[in-house]
Amino acid sequence: MKKILELFRRHPKEKLANDPVMDGLLRAVSMTDEQELSCDEVFALLDQFAEMIKRGEDAARMMPMVQKHLGMCPDCREEYETLIKMLETPTKGFEKP
Amino acid sequence: MAERDNQRWIHDLRTPGAEQDTALADLHANLIRVLPHALTRWLSPGDPALENLVEDVSQETLLRVLDKLDTFEGRSQFNTWVYKIAVRLALTELRRERWKEVSLDELMESSRKDPEPNIVSQKGIEPETATEQNDSLRHLQRILSEELTEKQRQALMAVSVKGMPLEEVARRLGTNRNALYKMMHDARLRLKHRLEREGLPIEDLLEMFNR
Repeated sequence: MKKILELFRRHPKEKLANDPVMDGLLRAVSMTDEQELSCDEVFALLDQFAEMIKRGEDAARMMPMVQKHLGMCPDCREEYETLIKMLETPTKGFEKP
Repeated sequence: MAERDNQRWIHDLRTPGAEQDTALADLHANLIRVLPHALTRWLSPGDPALENLVEDVSQETLLRVLDKLDTFEGRSQFNTWVYKIAVRLALTELRRERWKEVSLDELMESSRKDPEPNIVSQKGIEPETATEQNDSLRHLQRILSEELTEKQRQALMAVSVKGMPLEEVARRLGTNRNALYKMMHDARLRLKHRLEREGLPIEDLLEMFNR
């Protein structure tokens, strides 16, 4: 294993093959934090987070663990994106500004 | 239709009678109007399935809202909180529908067809390099089987590689999505620590497999 890393470092232009499976897995591993929020915890904060984004606030900085989970969890990310889409439709006087 | 702030929404929904009825009707009308636009990735406007889903989800959302009213903390607009509930209900249903014909075994089957890493078939790869890369892949696969349970490997493959929703994987594994995420996090962390122990920098590995 180390041999190929050395090979790679010595000859950076050495042609190696793509392996999307391993790539995807390693990518997920590299982004892993010791502590991560669970889906339930993120769901509880999702409305708050989405509104921050809509207001143009730096939600990633203010709620970094939510941001991180959304980067790691396709289900939650999809729900977040759908919620944002719903918020984009005006409510026709339902809410006070 | 009346404008309501958070307090007003809670008040009206807590008061059985005309106020509650009107509040529920307003919520319902809004959901019917707004949900379709948000679900276009799944169903096209004009699709009768969309109309049915939206109606079912809206009804279910109203029930859920009433049931969970005491959990609303006022950290957001009431409507946003309601939308969040509707989104979860809608997507859970859409995912179930889309994946109902797919079993975990079928999903894994396509990856089991090529158990041996076979990089030499890609163009322009030197045979010696390909052999060494195959060795590395085998080594990584060995790490995977040593560090992870069968369930963890299945889950990671299904979600990260095959794109199955966590909810759907969880259902097939007899667990829930929350527990599954934690299980997957544990798996990723184990792999991370193992690679660190072996002195294999992930950045280098990533570069190697993503050319």
